[in-house]
Amino acid sequence: MAKKIPITRISKFFGSEDFSLEQDIGMEWLHGDMHFTMVLFRVDKKLSDVDDVYGESGVEEIRYHPPVEFNAQVEIADPQNKSYASGLVNQMEPGNMTINVYIKHLEELGVDISYGDYIGYPENETTIRYYVVTNDGRVTSDMKHSMGGYKAFYRTILCSFVNENEFKGI
Amino acid sequence: MALPKKNKKNINITPSQVQGHYPYGYNGIVTPNRREEISDLISEHGTMLPKSVLHADLDRGMLDFVQKDLRTSVSGKKIPVIDRILTLQRWGEFSKTWSFSDKDRNVSLPFVVVVRKPDVQPGSNPALQYTIPDRKQFHYAKVPTWDGNRKGYDVYKIPQPVPVDVIYDVKIVCNRMRELNQFNKIVLQKFTSRQAYTFVKGHYIPMILSSVGDESVVDTEERRYYQQNYQFQLQGFLIDEEEFEVTPAVSRVVTLIGGENRNSKVNDTITTKTTFHFDSLPPGTFGTKTKQYTTKVDLTLMRSSNVDSYDIYINGVWVNDSQNTGIPVMINPNDNVKVEIVKETSLEPAWILFQETVVR
Repeated sequence: MAKKIPITRISKFFGSEDFSLEQDIGMEWLHGDMHFTMVLFRVDKKLSDVDDVYGESGVEEIRYHPPVEFNAQVEIADPQNKSYASGLVNQMEPGNMTINVYIKHLEELGVDISYGDYIGYPENETTIRYYVVTNDGRVTSDMKHSMGGYKAFYRTILCSFVNENEFKGI
Repeated sequence: MALPKKNKKNINITPSQVQGHYPYGYNGIVTPNRREEISDLISEHGTMLPKSVLHADLDRGMLDFVQKDLRTSVSGKKIPVIDRILTLQRWGEFSKTWSFSDKDRNVSLPFVVVVRKPDVQPGSNPALQYTIPDRKQFHYAKVPTWDGNRKGYDVYKIPQPVPVDVIYDVKIVCNRMRELNQFNKIVLQKFTSRQAYTFVKGHYIPMILSSVGDESVVDTEERRYYQQNYQFQLQGFLIDEEEFEVTPAVSRVVTLIGGENRNSKVNDTITTKTTFHFDSLPPGTFGTKTKQYTTKVDLTLMRSSNVDSYDIYINGVWVNDSQNTGIPVMINPNDNVKVEIVKETSLEPAWILFQETVVR
């Protein structure tokens, strides 16, 4: 078992009970009031059928763990209007998605979001957009992700849009 | 004027052995042993044709080269090489590096990675440049065939391989100069004679070291590490088995004909009949008749009337009589046949009928 180090920072004003209380209040607001729900598709790297030279898989060859619903704060950037060939072959697609998710929430669900996993976000009743994780926010050493410097409590995950050629979704 | 003494007066104009290490030299007819060995490597474990060599095979060849020929160890510990060509697929990266990653899933230093430039350019391999237009097929091998009936051979034809240049950046990322030095020494030793070879499906593919660059991050306020980039140009070629052509060449047919055991000429037998009449011959006396034949026949007695006995003479020589009735007498062209009979006591005219079967 790994050694545990007690966190005694700002202990005069703030402790683990306060941390838990603030975290629970925030989670109740985010999960209960906001209720932004997404679906996480974690790639099964062991079972996916990969190429010997490139480690690549076709769309049908990637295997996933069972999808998991989770809640997070979501920000989606403006759609991007681009082209493939110097102004020709127009490409209009959703902007990048940034989500903030409670670490405790992921622990309760027993999942981890990794670089390259896919996240589905229901844009409306009929359309689900899929994004790939480009930064899994695993490192939360900065003050912003901590509660007053006490301890990190959320992760910021950056995602970019994927089309059906990369991930078909459900 | 006298010739200078140092002039060669005896010049051997007999060509010497081109490849002296072969017992009889290369005479343009007998294939040198080494060339046969290389040819065997190309077609090993397969058909008589070479196997496809495509982009992925060249990439695999490059990875193998880095793994084996540029293998570097420092203080007894091997510097790990990411054994894949990294691609756009994000999740694939960790699956290739997990064995030497830390708890934040970052790759631990030192390591070596091979990055291929996605663009593959037309090749500069001098053996293959622009020599044959229009993907013309050329003879590669003659392969004997036997399908149970026909013996022959197929001609295997392939087009000229397509030369390609593939650029690889082999990067070493490390924290210590001695790791850099060690890797640098191995690379430069390997490329002392400008080129090295990787082995792809029986083919030796040359590569050259294009450049060595340094991308180290030596910043005052950032994490420091060394990163050097060795750029290699693989002068490969593409062989696509989809372009191969197999055409049947000369075949030899063995035709076995079976038949029934009967004489098919029977139906074509030509027979004639000749009757020798002895009208005025008194009873109990001898009588003779003659006939000259122009064809070869077998003479057989059919019937007779008032004939007690008979004898047959050919050119005056007795050959048969009434004791051997049923045995045919062979008559050759221009034979003079004499039939001699003894008439019975009847007063009726005597005659004897012979069947003549024409012999072909």
